[in-house]
Amino acid sequence: MKNTINQFVLSLTKINKTHLQFVLMLLTLIMLVLGASAAEDVGGHG
Amino acid sequence: MILLTAIAAGSLAGWGYARWSGVTWQPPVFRASWLVALGFLPQLMAFYLPQTRRLLPDDLASISLICSQLVLLVFTFVNRRLPGMSILMLGLGCNLGVIVANGGFMPLTVDAAVRLVDQTVLNTLAVGERISSASKDILLPETQILLPWLADRFVSPPFQPYRFAFSLGDVLIAAGTFWLLLVGWPVATGTTISGDA
Repeated sequence: MKNTINQFVLSLTKINKTHLQFVLMLLTLIMLVLGASAAEDVGGHG
Repeated sequence: MILLTAIAAGSLAGWGYARWSGVTWQPPVFRASWLVALGFLPQLMAFYLPQTRRLLPDDLASISLICSQLVLLVFTFVNRRLPGMSILMLGLGCNLGVIVANGGFMPLTVDAAVRLVDQTVLNTLAVGERISSASKDILLPETQILLPWLADRFVSPPFQPYRFAFSLGDVLIAAGTFWLLLVGWPVATGTTISGDA
C-alpha cells in the first residue's frame, strides 16, 4: 500500500509545466472547435 | 466529431513530427484563453447542457450562438499569428456569416438531411424549424438558404457508423486546428531532447 502511494506521488512529481500547458491548450482548443463548428451529428440515428 | 478528430490527429501528427525532427513538442501558447471560456459558456447553456437548453427559447438560443461565435472570433483574431489560426478564423467567419444570414441558426439542407437520417426520422423534422433543442441547425430547402454553399450540406460517408453533416466552415476549422497542432509549437534554440510532450 505504502509502495503504491509512493509510486503515485512519484508519478505526480513527473507532471511538469509542459503537461499542464498541454492539458490547458487541449481544453481551450476543444471549447474553441465545439463553439466554432456547426456540424449536425446524428450519431447512430442515421 | 470531425473537429475532435482533427485535434486528436493534429496532436499525434505534431508529436510524431517533433519526435522525428528530434525536438521537444511544445503545445501552442494562446493569448487571452479566457475569451474561449467566456465565448463557449453561452453555447454550453444553450446547446450542450440538457438542464438549461430546454429552458431557453429559440430566439435566446440563436442570440447565444451568435454572441458566442463573435467572442470566439475575437479570440482567433487575437491569436491570428499562430500557424493555422487564420484558417480557423476564416472557417469560423464562414459559419458565423451563414448563421447570421439565415436568422441565427446554421441551415441544414433538406438534401443533406435526406442523406443523413432515415425516412422515419426525416418525417419527424419540420422545414424551417430546429432539428432539436441540442442542435445549432435549422432545416431549410436549398432555395430558401442565403449563402447556401456555406450551409451544412456535406454528409459523412455512409460506411461510417457515426453520421454527421458539416459545412465548408467546419472543414476550414478542422484544417486550421490540424495545422495549428502540427506546426504550432515554438522550438527552443538548442533543444535536443526527443519529442515527449
